[in-house]
Amino acid sequence: MDDPDAALMLLVKQGDTSAFAELVDKYKQPVMNVAYRMLHDTMEAEDLAQAVFVQVFKSANRYQVSSKFSTWLFTIARNLCLNEIRRRSRHRTDSIETPHPELEDQPLHQFEDKQTASPPESLLHSELEAKIDEALAELPENQRLAIVLCRQDELSYEEIAGVMDCSVSAIKSLIHRGRETLKQTLKPYLQSGAWRGPE
Amino acid sequence: MTNDPIYNHLREVSWRQKLTNAEEVELRTWLATHPEVQADWQTESGLNAGLSRLPDAPVPSNFTARVLQAVEREAVAELSQPQGNWLTWLWLRWLPRTVFAAMAVGVGLLSFHQVQSTHRKKMIESVAAVSAVSSLPSPEILGDFDAIRALNPNPAPDEQLLAVLR
Repeated sequence: MDDPDAALMLLVKQGDTSAFAELVDKYKQPVMNVAYRMLHDTMEAEDLAQAVFVQVFKSANRYQVSSKFSTWLFTIARNLCLNEIRRRSRHRTDSIETPHPELEDQPLHQFEDKQTASPPESLLHSELEAKIDEALAELPENQRLAIVLCRQDELSYEEIAGVMDCSVSAIKSLIHRGRETLKQTLKPYLQSGAWRGPE
Repeated sequence: MTNDPIYNHLREVSWRQKLTNAEEVELRTWLATHPEVQADWQTESGLNAGLSRLPDAPVPSNFTARVLQAVEREAVAELSQPQGNWLTWLWLRWLPRTVFAAMAVGVGLLSFHQVQSTHRKKMIESVAAVSAVSSLPSPEILGDFDAIRALNPNPAPDEQLLAVLR
């Protein structure tokens, strides 16, 4: 068996909770990253990541050892993320542009503009990270998911294709389109060269 | 933007991970002969750097413990409602089959009814055709029926008349 996680899953199938805890420890960060980038809400991402692992434990009997554990895990994470996004869009009560019921010329929600004209140098990187996070959140969900999964060391393009249930060329096309949009949105920052340097 | 396979391959590799030293050298060599792609690569590498700098989402220190607790809670909940779960399982397992069987029986009944009504229609048409036939002649005439039937239905040609006509 090449995949050590598959060996742990065999133990989980037999009800071994310490093997399960080992898998949770190993994958909690990547699953949280995917959930957070997809939902853009820390609390919801936490709940979703927890639901992913509970689902893993409950479905352990259905896990096929022939498939890589991380592919199976991220497929569950993807399905739960998409369900949550659909649930949100069904239950969306108001948007930030919903007019105020009493003051018709004012929006319902007003947010402080925290952007300053010239941020201190020390804050430059965190501002850039916030910009890229925002730009990522604006992408269509399949492009966003493809880009987020692409940054996971655990997954190859073939495995991402397996998680997203499409071909490798379709995945590369999604990533390419998403990145083109990001490049357009972040053009001023990318041209300034602020992100380059030691990674 | 270029369709060169070397550049595209290295670009796709860079989307996933940092290029190895060998890949970096290969890219630099390729870019030296294709300076027009330099700007595109600058943007690509800038975006790669930006994406790789994104911080990890915060994970609570007790996350694993919470997951294990949730799993335990689920197990307890399942044990405390065996009847309900069993019924749900049975319902979910048999519902599609029951629906399919009901549909098959429905289609069968409908076809049977259709065949029956067609058959009945044909019968009615036959009865109507028989009733349209004129009534039989009187019994006196029918008394000579056998004799008439015995007569040659095709009488011999009138030779004399034919001769006259010739």
